[in-house]
Amino acid sequence: MQTLVRPSDTHASGSDPGLDPYHATSAAGRIEGPDKVSGRARYSADVRLPGMLWAKILRSPHAHARIHDIDTGAAAALPGVHAVLCYRNAPDIPWYDHGRLFDRTVRFAGDEVAAVAADSEATAEEALRAIRVTYEPLPCVLDMASALAPGAPAIHGTSNRAGDPAIEQRGNPRRGLREAELIIDRVYTTQVALHNALEPHGCVALWQDERLTLYASTQGVNTLRCEVADKLSIPERQVRVVTEHMGGGFGAKQVAWKHDVIAALLARESARPVHLMLDRHAENLATGNRNATRQHLRIGAKRDGTLTTITARIEIQIGAYRAGGETSSVDGIYHSLYACRNVRTEQAVVYTNTGPAVAFRAPGYVEGNFALESALDELARALNIDPIELRLRNYAETDQRRRKPYTSPDSLRRTYARVSEAFGWRRYVRSVDSGPKRRGIGFAAHDWVGGGGSPPGKVRLTLVPPGRFRLESAAQDIGTGTRTALAQVCAQALGVDIATLDIALGDSNLQLASPTSAGSATLATLAPAIHGAADQVRKRVLQAAAELLLEPAQALELRTGRVVANSGRELSLRSLCEHLGRRTITAIGKRAANRRSQSIRTCGAQCVEVEVDIETGEVRVVRVVASHDCGRIVNRHLVASQVMGGVMQGIGFALTEARVVDPRSGVVLNANLEDYKLPTVADTPVIIHAALDLADTEANVAGVKGIGEPPIIPTAAAIANAIFDAVGVRLYNTPFSVCGMLEKLSGPPHARMCDNDEPR
Amino acid sequence: MKPFDYAAPVNLDHSLRALARGRGTRALAGGTDLLALMKARVASPDVLLNVKQLRDLSRDIALDERGASLGALVTLADIELDPAIAQAFPALAQAAASAATPQLRNMATLGGTLLQRPRCWYFRSERFECWLKGGTECHARHGENQFHAVFDTGCCRAVHPSDVACALSALKAEIELRGSHGPRRLAIGEFFDPPREGRRVETVLRDDELVVAVHVPRPAPGSRSIYLKAMDRAAWAFALVSVAACLRMDEDRVAELELVLGGVATVPWPVGEALRHLVGKPLAARAIAEAARGALAGAEPLRMNAYKLPLAQALIRRALHSLAGSASEAVSLAPELHRGPP
Repeated sequence: MQTLVRPSDTHASGSDPGLDPYHATSAAGRIEGPDKVSGRARYSADVRLPGMLWAKILRSPHAHARIHDIDTGAAAALPGVHAVLCYRNAPDIPWYDHGRLFDRTVRFAGDEVAAVAADSEATAEEALRAIRVTYEPLPCVLDMASALAPGAPAIHGTSNRAGDPAIEQRGNPRRGLREAELIIDRVYTTQVALHNALEPHGCVALWQDERLTLYASTQGVNTLRCEVADKLSIPERQVRVVTEHMGGGFGAKQVAWKHDVIAALLARESARPVHLMLDRHAENLATGNRNATRQHLRIGAKRDGTLTTITARIEIQIGAYRAGGETSSVDGIYHSLYACRNVRTEQAVVYTNTGPAVAFRAPGYVEGNFALESALDELARALNIDPIELRLRNYAETDQRRRKPYTSPDSLRRTYARVSEAFGWRRYVRSVDSGPKRRGIGFAAHDWVGGGGSPPGKVRLTLVPPGRFRLESAAQDIGTGTRTALAQVCAQALGVDIATLDIALGDSNLQLASPTSAGSATLATLAPAIHGAADQVRKRVLQAAAELLLEPAQALELRTGRVVANSGRELSLRSLCEHLGRRTITAIGKRAANRRSQSIRTCGAQCVEVEVDIETGEVRVVRVVASHDCGRIVNRHLVASQVMGGVMQGIGFALTEARVVDPRSGVVLNANLEDYKLPTVADTPVIIHAALDLADTEANVAGVKGIGEPPIIPTAAAIANAIFDAVGVRLYNTPFSVCGMLEKLSGPPHARMCDNDEPR
Repeated sequence: MKPFDYAAPVNLDHSLRALARGRGTRALAGGTDLLALMKARVASPDVLLNVKQLRDLSRDIALDERGASLGALVTLADIELDPAIAQAFPALAQAAASAATPQLRNMATLGGTLLQRPRCWYFRSERFECWLKGGTECHARHGENQFHAVFDTGCCRAVHPSDVACALSALKAEIELRGSHGPRRLAIGEFFDPPREGRRVETVLRDDELVVAVHVPRPAPGSRSIYLKAMDRAAWAFALVSVAACLRMDEDRVAELELVLGGVATVPWPVGEALRHLVGKPLAARAIAEAARGALAGAEPLRMNAYKLPLAQALIRRALHSLAGSASEAVSLAPELHRGPP
């Protein structure tokens, strides 16, 4: 099998390379690359402190139970055990909507029950096993259908519906349905997927007097500081969160989880630093997941393809608790991706006795996009219109939700053109169907509400002896390359070589407001702030140099390591620093608000070729071409790496990844990397990033937008559409397993392509 | 995992004596299965006996005119990469290459792969007291059973995980055992025996015995063999269904045919009766399809694993067509295939 990954298409199309400010550095390697490959980079799990203890958490084996009693006596008496916490002795801290840190009721198999800190991992584990818990098992509901059935046991309050459904409507969907000449009416389901970042959740907690330091794997050092301080009822300034390096988060590390506060409490109780990293099993039980969905979608269209209505009734499986963070808006894409006057969505959130859902890379959009883009493909087939042409006929020129123009109204159209050209969509020649392996191609588009960035976002930029610049941001690099991209933006804005720049990140003690790395927001938030700081610092450097050179500041230019005058005279930054003595040149750059008159979006499209074995049901993704609008490309390797990672995660979501829960006990059966099947290297197709470098200067001064989330969004639908193209089987339920494929392939002839004769 | 003692005996006899002394003693070679079982507390030996360093336990592959002898410590990587094995026993080399990952194949031994326990998630979870671990029920029967057995061999519905065991079964290998009471040699079909009351394990190996070698008889001239495996991803997955087949044609007629299914039962599952009528006849497409259907006769799939039947049939057809030299024939299970734009 060919398993070739091309790093990137030759070069980005869009702006002229000659005008591209990042051209010189756009292929820069990661600043921290050498540290990572040599093992010097320190992740949270690598932190070792004198006297440090090892902590572990006891989790409920029951999906729903009342705790009658906990006996921790034997555990506490074990030599080497320094602290044991449970509801009996821990502070009573409210958690989630209605729960406590250590709740007397456990609501999913994996819920936190008790915790220990001991002087070795083995002792901690032994202590966990010595804790005796008396449970009274309660009836449980493990999926949405049973949670919503009449008489179902309620997990919170009286109903398993978490609040009223969110309803959003424009126009008159009923009229849109009447006007339709063709209706696609389908129910789609998506599964619970697990994030499985390479690095698990966890932290090391250290108390010094009344001050707490958490070395944490988090997507938001400032958010975590704020939430932990709140839970511990101590002032925020007494909490410091440090995140030097991270092995991914994908959304699941943007909130404080119980283990963060448990680590702090154990450390306080034992008066020792405490190391609390989750293992893969716990990681897959209790640190979030992508919510399952059920979506009943109806699309009405004229024969020419014009959409007359889109309606969707959506149910989201939130699990046992609302974990907070970014909300999953499955409904979002229905309102924005296509021009349509009559749109209505109703999104209900359902509790079940399973691990809580949390944001997962483009939360909601991945799920909604699968349904909408599958339906669009079905519509295109029914109307005999090319799928890309159908999308162009319904192109959304403006943000219909907010009734504003987009900052980059053409970019989605340009991704269509770019991706279809790079893929050879119109030139595609199908291989002759002789053997059991059939090939087909599929297309899907997407947009994404994130990627625009927003305040607050502050950076500090300082000229430091002997003439280097130091950029500081509290924001963390979660593995995406933020550190490198911010340094590139700063070096370019100053007009100096990146090698003369130092960058400090991931420390709440820098006292700089910073974004959580979510919503593809980090670069788009901080790059404009860096431009602001660089402008101020450059101006002051030139003023200071002007005094020394006796030249007007306007006649001076900052270059790498020196200031050069029009006259040819120059001053090294080293000399400037010497002259400045104790005076420093430093400035804070602040992210300004986005324009209220315009709407920022990111968007893109993917073409996929698949091969389906019609006898064995095996699906192989052969080739993916992806084009996404992320504004100006600062570093093409980092962008390509986000695109490839997103596509691979999309392939996993489409084909193999699904949490499996035992239907009787509620126990997760595949909370490991052997049974939870992520795509492997051998599953990796040729992935081509057909880059678009479209500086969005209407969005912000740096022209940049985010790329973290977009690439995962359209992959599942594009694969589903390609499978239909290959074998004529339409898929409504992710993932497309061998089991499901064989059922479809050996079942009755495929269902009608659309329900255009349905009663109106 | 539970704390344990570690012992590194000097030779095989010492090892066997140590095994005979206590039930809590387990032999450790590659550790790719046993250590995982220990971490999951499914196995909790008191003593781990490292046999990997034993000088008199073979790690060699030897071929002569009678066949191949493979020592128990031969790794899956050794099997996969040995050109003589690939030539004489393609199914064996293919099976080894399809197993696990390169890292695991470098560690996993032949003895260990025959003895590895089922990957059933109920068996592997401490949370379930399943029958195979001494409990009273098979949780898979009413649970998540998409990866479980379609043939009912008793209480347990786990499947045997070893690709190599499946290939060795089709190649009629013999397993050489040594115990404290001496050696014995078993046909692989006797070595594997579905777990039953009183012996809740997939082989007849006694507690005081070790697998020391596997002998694979050289097939008659003209024999061909193949191993096909369906997975839900391209690598590092146990077989959804696999098939190992060994065929000898006499002119255009079937002289000998062995076919064993993996992923369908608690042990490698030889398909006997359904193939018998193929012997002595040309290998025609219709006969192959009929045999493939017959091979699954008697299967009793559970709620979620009926897909294994068409899958097994497809692999059987494909294996036989391939061995017979004809190109794999597309037997379309799909409806009229759609052809539309673009």
